[in-house]
Amino acid sequence: MTDYLPGTAGLIEDIDKKHLVVLRDGRTLIGILRAIDQFANLVLHQTVERIHVDGFFGDIPRGIFVVRGENVALFGEVDLENENRGNLQEVSVEEILELHQQVTARKDELERRKSRAMRERGLIPHQDVPDDLYF
Amino acid sequence: MLPLSLLKTAVNHPMLVELKNGETYNGHLVNCDNWMNLQLREVICTSRDGDHFWRMNECYVRGSTIKYLRIPDEVIDMVKEENTARMKAAKNRNRDQNNRNNRGGGRGGNRGGGRGGNRGGGRGGGRGGYNNQR
Repeated sequence: MTDYLPGTAGLIEDIDKKHLVVLRDGRTLIGILRAIDQFANLVLHQTVERIHVDGFFGDIPRGIFVVRGENVALFGEVDLENENRGNLQEVSVEEILELHQQVTARKDELERRKSRAMRERGLIPHQDVPDDLYF
Repeated sequence: MLPLSLLKTAVNHPMLVELKNGETYNGHLVNCDNWMNLQLREVICTSRDGDHFWRMNECYVRGSTIKYLRIPDEVIDMVKEENTARMKAAKNRNRDQNNRNNRGGGRGGNRGGGRGGNRGGGRGGGRGGYNNQR
């Protein structure tokens, strides 16, 4: 085991391994880490965008991603042995997008009613669609 | 390889840039710099909801507004080729330099003015730089 490398230098151990990245906007990307720098800007190869809805997920192939480090919420190596152990079922891209659209439509409707209720009571509702879930 | 140098290699290739506000810019990379600022040409800008489109000949994107970039797969193959080409060129350069240095130092017996100069230069050259031969 190498000595502890401070900051983002330790990421160099992770190169050429499969990683999962969650962005601040909530997106999940899975790809092979190819390059890093001190800002934790990442280059992911053979990337897949995974959409989760309830107990289902779908993978959309996306090619090469260059992610700006400040947009990463979470990032970790995928355990290849236990990768498929969960109770999640993979479905096709069309299906997951359909499910996702239904869920988001329901959530949007709920948010709209909440915002209206707040406005009626003289309160300012928060932004409709948050770009950044962590701000 | 560094992410920003990969970007440098991707000049003239098409790419997709998504900004923090969700807008996407599809175009060919003209130039980029150390702050990830980009210049694109033949750009199609798509609004966050995918409803509105704008086309422009050129655009400039400030690096700090970028969320991520998607680049074509061929760029990474180009990078690997570039790396092997660069290493080969560096190896050839080192080999030529070493040959020149050895020629000066190898014939140590001769004490001609020119040769002496070479010997000094050669050995100096060999020890110079950052070759730690402890």
